[in-house]
Amino acid sequence: MTMQALNHLVARSIVDPLVVQAYSAGRIGDLLVELDFPQEVRAQLAEIQADTFAEYAVLAYRLVKAADRATVRIVLPSPLEGLLPETGEERAKREQVA
Amino acid sequence: MISATREERHWLLRNLAQGLFQHLAVAVPPVPVEELHKHPPQVFEIDFGVVDMFKCLWDATFARPPSGQGSVFVRFDLSPEERRAALARETLHALVSSRHGRSMGLGEMLGDSLRESAEYFAGHLTAPEVLVTAYRKRSGDHPDGFANSFGIPAPVASARWAESAELIQ
Repeated sequence: MTMQALNHLVARSIVDPLVVQAYSAGRIGDLLVELDFPQEVRAQLAEIQADTFAEYAVLAYRLVKAADRATVRIVLPSPLEGLLPETGEERAKREQVA
Repeated sequence: MISATREERHWLLRNLAQGLFQHLAVAVPPVPVEELHKHPPQVFEIDFGVVDMFKCLWDATFARPPSGQGSVFVRFDLSPEERRAALARETLHALVSSRHGRSMGLGEMLGDSLRESAEYFAGHLTAPEVLVTAYRKRSGDHPDGFANSFGIPAPVASARWAESAELIQ
């Protein structure tokens, strides 16, 4: 979702000069609130400093990609648990053995 | 000035192409690239245009005469597929040299790789991912007829199809 929001902003920037104007005026945060970014990522995106909007976009891409990767890492199941959820029967067997 | 990787540059180009594609508001291929030049976004009114050339060394080239009105000068005898691909490729040159493109810093970002960037951009303007994905579902993920449906030359279609498969993974 986060990368989609950034894609939307960059796609809009090529046809809507308001995006680049907002960035140049230090008001990119005003546009970011309209998009579906997690609050922490949005705050970091608003703080990025770059010479041009194209550079800003690339730095934002790096940030969002790293944030998305971190989210994926959190959702992955632990190797200790296995890839499939334990059924009631399996849990009962394990508890019986224990 | 930061240095973008090829992957980052391609991501940027895909989104620039996506923005122009959305401006066209079409839901099915082929993407009418020439219409984009006839009815450009307001910010590119003095940057887009098409002029047919009877004698030309290249298939198409973007130029901005002293009048300031940018245009793609395109050889008149190209096939519709070649014409669409050539116009799409030169559209990136129009973007980069435009006032808006300069204010975005596109020239600095793409300068060293403009030729390769233009080809990549053209692939995504003529075959946006959303339309390619829909085509894959309809065709049972088979490339036959892809070039014909999107109205692009076979080599461009082949490269774009392969890249789309990579993007899915």
